[in-house]
Amino acid sequence: MHLLSKMLILLSIMTALPLAHAAEDRLTLTGSSTVAPLAAEFAKRYESQHPGVRIDVQMGGSSRGINDARMGLADIGMVSRALKPTEQDLTAFVIAMDGIGIILHKSNAVGELSDTQVIDIYTGKIRNWQQVGGVDLPITVVNKAEGRSTLELFLHHFDLKNSQIKAQVVIGDNQQGIKTVSGNRGAIGYVSIGTAEYEEARGTPIKLLPMASQAATVEAIAKGHYPLSRQLNLVVKGIPVGLAENFITFAQSAAVKDLVEAQFFVAP
Amino acid sequence: MADRLFAWLMLGCAVLVVASLLWVLSDVLIEGFAHFSWSFLITEPVDAGRSGGIGPILISTLWILLIALAAALPLGLGVAIWLSEFAPRNSRFAVHTGITLDILAGVPSIVYGLFGNAFFSIYLGMGFSLLSGGLTLACMILPIFVRTCESGLRAVSDDWRKGALALGMTRSSAIWHILLPAARPAIVAGMVLGIGRATAETAALLFTSGYVDRMPESLLDSGRALAVHIYDLSMNVTGGDGAAYASALVLVVLIISLNTLAQSLVDNWFKRRLVVS
Repeated sequence: MHLLSKMLILLSIMTALPLAHAAEDRLTLTGSSTVAPLAAEFAKRYESQHPGVRIDVQMGGSSRGINDARMGLADIGMVSRALKPTEQDLTAFVIAMDGIGIILHKSNAVGELSDTQVIDIYTGKIRNWQQVGGVDLPITVVNKAEGRSTLELFLHHFDLKNSQIKAQVVIGDNQQGIKTVSGNRGAIGYVSIGTAEYEEARGTPIKLLPMASQAATVEAIAKGHYPLSRQLNLVVKGIPVGLAENFITFAQSAAVKDLVEAQFFVAP
Repeated sequence: MADRLFAWLMLGCAVLVVASLLWVLSDVLIEGFAHFSWSFLITEPVDAGRSGGIGPILISTLWILLIALAAALPLGLGVAIWLSEFAPRNSRFAVHTGITLDILAGVPSIVYGLFGNAFFSIYLGMGFSLLSGGLTLACMILPIFVRTCESGLRAVSDDWRKGALALGMTRSSAIWHILLPAARPAIVAGMVLGIGRATAETAALLFTSGYVDRMPESLLDSGRALAVHIYDLSMNVTGGDGAAYASALVLVVLIISLNTLAQSLVDNWFKRRLVVS
């Protein structure tokens, strides 16, 4: 009897719960795992300034952000690249910039690679560091997994197809890329510059290579000199209204510049 | 001589396993304690989890676990009793149920995550919520729990069943008062396996209970589980390693204490049953 009454109470609580949610002051964001921690920080600050508002940030990758915004599963999608021509039904709002840099193990003697050399390494034509002026050590090519916007940007910049790349290691997130390269003296990989700069300063044994003779620094991205950079976007279907509009305006305002920098990105 | 060598070899295997386990544990303990403080357990995460604590995440984890166990344990025990005590030997349905459970036990957790997202979150309209995460985990731990309990019940000697019959006990009271207490170690083992797997789960929760690290206000709120938090900190957040280790430390301690608690609860419950009857 005791158990039964408990179950009844639980059941009534569970059926009453949906009523507690009014949709007016709720916002859901899904998408890129690169943007998610930043957007979550934005959301927290926005919530603290607007009591009663709830902004839920979920992860899942840029493609998911596009898809969910389109299908209406999320109010706002998070996408860590510019929209493609096929995605013009969506409107994008830049909230930050991020650069992609090539990283090697710190002990590697190679200080610069030309675009052709990078292409030859990634397509398997160059297999040893000796061929580009380093020591006799086989090259471990670290590539990103399919669906990552870092991969798309890298391929686009070097005019490559993913099927041409001969990678020994395929990874997902930035941190994983840094961990892989710092643990392998012969490795080459590409990751977000802000992340790599932070790890380098912290003593992780990696080094960033300049790209097209532009030093890979957060500063160079901010100035727009660095060739391999990407936008971090919030996307909505059509025109944003109400809470979504307010939140996007907030995310693009000077009020969140410190948050962008704290996450090692560049304010637009 | 060969025999001696064999014995040494086996000892070597044992030492290797224990040593690697100790290595992992001490790594988590040493790195974790560097970032750990008591306020870490109750405060909210700040700066994408680099500083602050894991208060809301801990609460979400416990809720998800509670939902998963509340759904899986009674159901699982029921299936196990049916399979071992009621299903006719060699009945096709029972055999197929067993095979299905074995296959389900081997399915990777990300598949449960996708199923949970499609079924609980979207089809049943629960969205990203503790409820949908907990029910997804329940589906995940059910097969292992059923199989462990079933084999425990089957291992009880038939003499006990005959003895109960001879004393005129009904089948249900024989199960309740004799067979279940006798199968207690297997039930505990099933619970321990289930709790361990559920608490450490990341993939199945990422798309069901979600990523929100706010204090949950209802079971229909999204809440980040501890394992998801560790994954995010170590893979996604630059400079989040310290907090990730501290969270891992909490996770390890949580699993150990939950297992101890489960063991003592089951022990107590069955001991009382034996004394009363």
